[in-house]
Amino acid sequence: MIKNTSTPNLRITVYCALFTALIIVGGYISIPIPIGPVPIALADFFVMLAGLFLGFKYGLISTTLYLVLGAIGLPVFAGGTAGLAVLFGPTGGFLFGYLFMVAFIGFISDKMKPAIPTYLLSLIVGNILLYSIGVPWLRIVMHFNWAEAFAVGFVPFIAGIVIKIAVAVTLSHKLLPPFKRTHAFSSMQQIDGGDE
Amino acid sequence: MPTLETKNLTHIFPDGTIAIQNISLQVKPGEFLIIAGANGSGKTVLIRHLNGLFTPTKGTVLLDGKAITANIVEARKKIGLVFQDSDSQIVGQTVAEDVAFGPENLKLPPHEIDTITKRVLEITNLTALSTQNPHVLSGGQKRKLAIAGVLAMRPEIILFDEPFTGLDYPGVISILKQIINLHKTGHTIILVTHELEKVLAHADRLAILHKGQLMEIGTPKEVILHSKHYGIRMPLKNNEEIHLMTWLE
Amino acid sequence: MAGITFFHYIHKNTILHKMDCRLKLLCLILLSLSAGFATKWLHYFVIICIITLAIIIARLPIAALLKDMKFFAIIILIVFISNAFTIPGEQIPNFPISNVSIQGITAGLRFAGRLIIILMICTAITGTTSLMALKNAIEWLLRPIPFIPEVRIATIINLTFVLIPLIFDNYVEIISAQKSRCIQLNKNPIRRIRLITLPLLSQSLRRADEIAYAMESRCYSETRSSYIHKTNKIDWIILGTCLMILIFALFL
Repeated sequence: MIKNTSTPNLRITVYCALFTALIIVGGYISIPIPIGPVPIALADFFVMLAGLFLGFKYGLISTTLYLVLGAIGLPVFAGGTAGLAVLFGPTGGFLFGYLFMVAFIGFISDKMKPAIPTYLLSLIVGNILLYSIGVPWLRIVMHFNWAEAFAVGFVPFIAGIVIKIAVAVTLSHKLLPPFKRTHAFSSMQQIDGGDE
Repeated sequence: MPTLETKNLTHIFPDGTIAIQNISLQVKPGEFLIIAGANGSGKTVLIRHLNGLFTPTKGTVLLDGKAITANIVEARKKIGLVFQDSDSQIVGQTVAEDVAFGPENLKLPPHEIDTITKRVLEITNLTALSTQNPHVLSGGQKRKLAIAGVLAMRPEIILFDEPFTGLDYPGVISILKQIINLHKTGHTIILVTHELEKVLAHADRLAILHKGQLMEIGTPKEVILHSKHYGIRMPLKNNEEIHLMTWLE
Repeated sequence: MAGITFFHYIHKNTILHKMDCRLKLLCLILLSLSAGFATKWLHYFVIICIITLAIIIARLPIAALLKDMKFFAIIILIVFISNAFTIPGEQIPNFPISNVSIQGITAGLRFAGRLIIILMICTAITGTTSLMALKNAIEWLLRPIPFIPEVRIATIINLTFVLIPLIFDNYVEIISAQKSRCIQLNKNPIRRIRLITLPLLSQSLRRADEIAYAMESRCYSETRSSYIHKTNKIDWIILGTCLMILIFALFL
């Protein structure tokens, strides 16, 4: 947009906070869909976007902060829940899975030029990572067998996953190239070389 | 000698759009200058240059004769900027915490921050709200808080970007009074607006910005006759005088 | 802010409210560990008594808190039942439902007990700690960790709390504007979600830009006046109590 003198640190700091806040608000947004019994919540959607927009390091900071805030008792997890109880409860695997998802998507976003196939690939693999941690965790905590674990922790969400990936791709296609061009991309290079 | 001065200031966006072009402007100490222009005339870009937030494509901004980029922190201490959107400017969890944000950046000792915060809250009549969360304040109170946050830096020059936008009648009145008081207490005021009828009577000079260029600058009386050519509402009816152009009684 | 309280802080003037937040977070960790290591029923009993005492001392509204816990009650019940039915072991004599084992019920009760304890600890901590104190304490606790500039983290936390209500309001506005133009007639879920998230994201990014400019204009720097932490004797006594509970759960 505008050439600026803003310290790159400050911008990326604000963007980190922005995505943490979006993930939190996303947990409160639920949109009913005609296919499938479960309404769509947007927390994981914004985790995906945090990876795409912020890259590996800052995406990870943003998502970690979300989990830390929830762990110490702020009601930020889906449905306004909070605390270590949720983090280590039946659905905790999905929360820890966010870290792996954002790390992978962010890593790809750092290394590759923005393009639709890149987004698509990184989002699909990211979601596979998420569910490959969330579902076994659910199975162990609830003493399910595999069929039950998949029936409860994966099947109801398939439609939502497909929709969210599709929207994330179109959104990134529109907003990500200008975003990377104007500030975040160049500034992140500077930070990574500079302050540590 | 002017306190704040721009020389041939030009800003061109990366896509080639010209935001402002060859603006040369001098502001005297203690002056109240209004810069008027329609939407998209480059007002916001100009005022952000005066605070050193943008890098000019061409030209310079001088503070007391020196380039403001020479010591940008010192310059921003001297020149406060009140943003058009208060919500973007407020970063504290409570009113008092937000006022303290600037002094904390300047690394003032805690007791001094305390004193400044208390005084500024008194000046802006926000003392009673000091422990409130800013998000619950009214539009006028938020704008006041934005001003308080700037005052805590003890600036000599205060820039206002569209200070009346989105305020109700009492909100406009209280902000207007605040601005006039600040001018009376010796601050140099530069105010960007397209709502001349609310404030022009108090200004020393008026500048008109049109499509990125400085078209006119002078006493309000000289300039006002031309203003409608530039997309600004001509507030004068036939026999009205400039001193009537204010929302204060 | 659309009726959602993101934080249950209740301003009172008790020793728990005045307690240094750094020590409070340490207590949170110690007590969570105790809950994790607890094996005997006596352990659970003692820990629950201590935390109940803390909640009473802090004069938190217990009735309101219990209401908030409805959701957790369901989770805890589900976990308990699934444990009771699926863990193999001895049948209970004369119990009408088969498949339920004594081992299963015990494991289920343990798990439920742990969840309840952690839930109570978090309630006691968040009810007595303001966001500001929390932010300062997290900053302090992160100081020894290399590679993370703790001031930046504290700023991110602070900005997150600033941004949440702004984004939420923005979301409500977008939704209402679309409802007033009959969005519900559009059945394509991809389009609908895109219509919400695209303006939400682009407006939020622009907002973030503005905030960065405004902070810069107020001379934001990462070397800033820092908050002074103070502890008193009672704080240390509370921390000591928590430490003793952990030792009790571990060794006795």
